[in-house]
Amino acid sequence: MSSASDAGVVVPRFGTRGKAWLALLGVLIVAGLGAWAYQLQQGLAVTGMDNVFSWGLYIMLFVLFIGLSAGGLIISSAPKFFHSKRYDSLAALGVLLSLGCIVVAGLLILPDLGSPSRVTGFLTSPDPRSPMVWDFGIVLLYGLFNVGYLWLLTRRDLAKMGSRLAFGVEDTPAGRERDRKRAFWAAAIAMPLAVGLHSVTGWIFATQIGRGDWFNPLVAPMFIMKALVSGLALLLVTGILVDRFTRFRFPRELVPELGKLLGIFVAVHVVYLVAAERLPHAWAAHFEFWSITSAFLVGDTIHFWLWTLIGGVLPIALLAVPSLRRRIKAVFVASVAAIVGILFEGVYLIFTGYHDLNIDAAPGVTTGTDYTGLEADIWATTGSYTPTIVEVMVAVGLVAVGALIVTLGLRVVPIQPDDRTPVSAERDDTTATTADPVATDGGRRPEDEADAEVTGDA
Amino acid sequence: MTDYGMVIDLERCIGCNACAVSCSQENNVSLDKQWNRILTEGGDAMDTPEGSYPENGRDGTLSMNHLPLACQHCDNAPCVKVCPVNATYKRDDGIVEIDYDKCMGCRYCMSACPYNARVFNFDDPKTLPTDGTGNVEERKRGVVEKCTFCSHRLEEDLDPACTVACPADARIFGDLDDEESTASRYVEKYETEQLLDELETDPNTYYIRGEMSPGRTRSGNELEGTEKKDVGNPNGVATDGGDGQ
Repeated sequence: MSSASDAGVVVPRFGTRGKAWLALLGVLIVAGLGAWAYQLQQGLAVTGMDNVFSWGLYIMLFVLFIGLSAGGLIISSAPKFFHSKRYDSLAALGVLLSLGCIVVAGLLILPDLGSPSRVTGFLTSPDPRSPMVWDFGIVLLYGLFNVGYLWLLTRRDLAKMGSRLAFGVEDTPAGRERDRKRAFWAAAIAMPLAVGLHSVTGWIFATQIGRGDWFNPLVAPMFIMKALVSGLALLLVTGILVDRFTRFRFPRELVPELGKLLGIFVAVHVVYLVAAERLPHAWAAHFEFWSITSAFLVGDTIHFWLWTLIGGVLPIALLAVPSLRRRIKAVFVASVAAIVGILFEGVYLIFTGYHDLNIDAAPGVTTGTDYTGLEADIWATTGSYTPTIVEVMVAVGLVAVGALIVTLGLRVVPIQPDDRTPVSAERDDTTATTADPVATDGGRRPEDEADAEVTGDA
Repeated sequence: MTDYGMVIDLERCIGCNACAVSCSQENNVSLDKQWNRILTEGGDAMDTPEGSYPENGRDGTLSMNHLPLACQHCDNAPCVKVCPVNATYKRDDGIVEIDYDKCMGCRYCMSACPYNARVFNFDDPKTLPTDGTGNVEERKRGVVEKCTFCSHRLEEDLDPACTVACPADARIFGDLDDEESTASRYVEKYETEQLLDELETDPNTYYIRGEMSPGRTRSGNELEGTEKKDVGNPNGVATDGGDGQ
């Protein structure tokens, strides 16, 4: 079936469906470029941002994609660090996913700039005090690290299939053994690097005294936790889809297992950390027991509810019940919900910063976008924001770039070579086969097949 | 050393907006934004009081005050610390200024400023006259801008436009490092506050509340405040329309 030249590549060639997918991505990317060109020509006036609400969809999605880039790298590096082979079959896919997400995050900054051609200032005159400079450095480092790590994990298999991407590396048993050791050290670097990336991105906000709840020491830990939630959820979603549409096999017993882990992450994030953040404020601001309780439990904006209900209650409900957790469809839905929730957490964060002004006396702040003539009202005393179609098109185009990177990666990089197919999960297996009566050979039981069908169509 | 600062006497301010208008004119600020805003401390709308109307003689509680607000030129300026490309910087003379050729328009400084003193050119600036007055550097679309204490006027030994325009002498501009300057003496003598001082930005702008300062009027034979510097040095270029020449 698979010849030596495509061994391990889960998409040996693009079929009709693959080509249609590529064409769709192409259309979205071209549309995004067109929208960005329009924005460059017209100025940021074509976005929904103004002087009060000065960061919008681009930064909200930047925060989301920084988080999304965590999961793959952590799932592939943490087990390696503890010398476990259990998740080997997901390792390369995870790093590929991390790479795609960090590229999207980095690119999302460009359309947010008023004068993008001056972005070189990061290199020519950086201010080391600026958290954005720290973030620029670590995003760059993280992106390059992902490229190197992905290559380290797959170069022997690239060599085996004769790919030029092996860059002269040869496939020898001794070499594979050396790479395994190097992967341990790379994993040892990957984890602090990921913690650094998410903390620094959190500190972009957490250092700001002028924007309400941003100035909060919990923001950086929240960013790490939401990276774990959204990153793992994205790995599950992508893994399940790639399993459905390519030769890639997501080991069945890993689905409920990772689902359980995702449930724990969501609980720590949405239940524990949110409580830890809100309780002291609610307690200090209210007197009666029930008013403290309601201030603590009841959120004030739609974004808060979208985050905690869709991104918290729903996934926890689906993942806490063992019989539900074993259904691929349930894990898939829970993962999508968790990602949607994390998206709205970012939206919520930006809104808490920009909705209220510190000095909000009338007439307020000049918006800088509403001048239509002498009668125009250019003033605002609260921030409001709705993204425009231009912003949405640019953002979708950039997300399509990330999807294209992952898709082409599946075509070029052997993310699941023959000797690493799901069997690996059995090797240091301790619980899965006994706890879950699911075949561990990558084969599916009939009812799971039906399950996956529904998933694929969803 | 020089440390430029401004004292604004809120008891003298009459809310006439003359400083805001002269600022926009002097600095070619686009019609859709203002560097210098006059806020109403009172009702929900501009120039409205809060409280109740006196129905029966003296039982009313109406009160209204005005708060002129522009860049506070903080010593611990958050906008300067966040700028990734050093486009915003604190000058040795205390002025927070922007290098419009470096600014890449990321607007991090706008998030950092707790006073919302900064505005961004989302679009091409619309000014009157269309090409501007030529007094100040042109700002293009895609950069952040704000009050500069009229640094171009200071070079010619003129007070900032807002200070000259104020008919109530509510604005005193001067060197806070010079103990003899009127600004320093007023900060010393009157009850002043720095806005949002709990945030520890340490602004170079002080607001007098409580007892009214004498502005620039004479008390006895002594001039309490310095004269307005609205006449430039003879060799410089007048930027106030030239009526002082």
